[in-house]
Amino acid sequence: MSTEVAPSPGAPTGTARPARTKPPKDFDRPRFLKAFVGLFFLVLFVPIVLVILFSFNSSRSLQNFEGFSLRWYQEFFESESLRDSLIASVEIALITMVVATVLGTLLAYGLVRSRTRWSNAANVMMLVPLVTPEIVAGASALLLFTQIGLELSITTIILAHITFSISYVTVVVRARLASLGREVESAAMDLGATRWQTFRLVTLPALWPAVLAAGLLVFALSFDDFVLSFFTTGESPQPLPVRIWTQIRFGVRPTINAIGTFMLVISVLSIGLALLLPRLFGRKESGLKVLLGREAA
Amino acid sequence: MSENGAGSAIHFEAVTKRFGDAVAVDDLNLEIQRGEFFSLLGPSGCGKTTTLRMVGGFEQPSEGRIFLEGEPVETVPPYERNVNTVFQSYALFEHLSIEDNVAFGLKRRKVGKDEIRRRVAEALELVELHERGDARPRELSGGQKQRVALARALVNRPSVLLLDEPLGALDLKLRKQMQVELKGIQREVGITFLYVTHDQEEALAMSDRIAVMDAGVIKQCGTPEEIYEHPVGPFVAGFIGVSNLLPGVCENGSIRLADGSLCDAQVPADCAAGADVQLSVRPEKIAIDDEIEPGMVTVDGTVVERVYVGTSTQIIVELAPGMRLMALEQNWVRARSDDRWEIGNRVKLGWRPEHALVLR
Repeated sequence: MSTEVAPSPGAPTGTARPARTKPPKDFDRPRFLKAFVGLFFLVLFVPIVLVILFSFNSSRSLQNFEGFSLRWYQEFFESESLRDSLIASVEIALITMVVATVLGTLLAYGLVRSRTRWSNAANVMMLVPLVTPEIVAGASALLLFTQIGLELSITTIILAHITFSISYVTVVVRARLASLGREVESAAMDLGATRWQTFRLVTLPALWPAVLAAGLLVFALSFDDFVLSFFTTGESPQPLPVRIWTQIRFGVRPTINAIGTFMLVISVLSIGLALLLPRLFGRKESGLKVLLGREAA
Repeated sequence: MSENGAGSAIHFEAVTKRFGDAVAVDDLNLEIQRGEFFSLLGPSGCGKTTTLRMVGGFEQPSEGRIFLEGEPVETVPPYERNVNTVFQSYALFEHLSIEDNVAFGLKRRKVGKDEIRRRVAEALELVELHERGDARPRELSGGQKQRVALARALVNRPSVLLLDEPLGALDLKLRKQMQVELKGIQREVGITFLYVTHDQEEALAMSDRIAVMDAGVIKQCGTPEEIYEHPVGPFVAGFIGVSNLLPGVCENGSIRLADGSLCDAQVPADCAAGADVQLSVRPEKIAIDDEIEPGMVTVDGTVVERVYVGTSTQIIVELAPGMRLMALEQNWVRARSDDRWEIGNRVKLGWRPEHALVLR
């Protein structure tokens, strides 16, 4: 332990202690945590990677990869019923996205801007759809639709999807609106803008990234929703997730892998767009922050 | 001045504003002249911002009327009033460029494109930001944002500009600099400024007239000098500068202080003998020991604290328990450290009788 000995007075101190080559930065971040995180991602992604891999398998086998081919994608797109299901799913997701985004944004505006004694209660009530088990929401929607004699179809799926999506939009937009503050709107009116002009020219442009992000989130949620769709779907066309489930009951075909991969791509794309678009619109904040409601001050 | 204040920029006629049971502004009567730099000064919650918001149209008076250039405005919504506001938070439109921020008001008024361009350029020139017209608000510093907010309001040539603590978010140095600039800009454009602040120094530095408010009521209204030199009561004296209040009793033409000493002062004629009063002397009017001149009122005390504040040193002297005076010593008088009053020293303080105010 010669390096620990204090240098005698007057001796050059530079040589007494070896230069520190590595800052002691790991003491609060143990290595096993890194390993743990690695394991977590492995468990999370391996099944997904396998699905993607086997969607390109040339044989029927779900165990052995025998060669690259696009035959399952071909089968997917050539099957008329699957194509109808895909179109139905996209249609449901698009309509749900537009309607839920408009309604959710208006709801957020009302919740943030109104200051009555009911607004606190309304703010909490609005979260109920987020925590309601989907199976309960689905069963009650089915009950409602049959009670009022509404025939199950794409329309009923859309109604059910809109109902649960509004809350997501409201949560995202409300956070943004709260951070906008009232003075900006006062300033617009002070400068001669009417209430409607203020909303159109000042409030909406400021909310735009949040509205967009919320819309794409809703699209992704609606597109791959199974439980609600299952309860509220009609005979035909069924949305894709329900259709897959029906098909699996008659035996698993590798087409499932192709459909799964395809749906994954669409979901990832819409979430990715939700994260990226605010940046492309020249904002310096990331879409992640907008979605999580964490605004840069 | 005519009955409804046609010659004035703003005229408050018995204006009261209540929020539920709380009275924010209580029977306000005030006339602000055209071209005046008028400040509403007071602690937070005194009703000054509410008064401003009523002029802007964001609040309606519960009672009374407000006239803008002689016209009653109770039925006029904010976007049709010829006033503009500079907000404390700047409230710039983040999605618009600086130029578009400044042009916002003119576009709402359907001003021609060429004129908009010319006036926006003028306004940005006025606040020395003509080179940052394409920038976004987020790229500017706090002081620059404040100037944009000012240009955005002034470009509309309002009859009155309302400023709600516009310098509150700036640091001290920038604040001092902006005070000078604001005053210069106001002189240049000649628009009436109604300025709300809780900073007495700011109000003194910029205003033509100041109204000191407390609990919804104007305590005193006058020029900065009147308010500083002749405060009408303990609240105004205490709010503007350090007031050095000494309790005492009127006694035929002079004041008997609480410690028993008799003090020459200009006692108001209507102050009956035996009435409780407070004697106020500004710190810079107090002379210490060898600075005392003949004819001054003198008191004795002990130095209990000395605070070095750069240009001067504050010396706090206790005359009797609970009776303290603050005196200011310019630091050029005794710059050397071995020649100062130390804590515990006995000193004599003196001031001219006319510098002592008798407050009730």
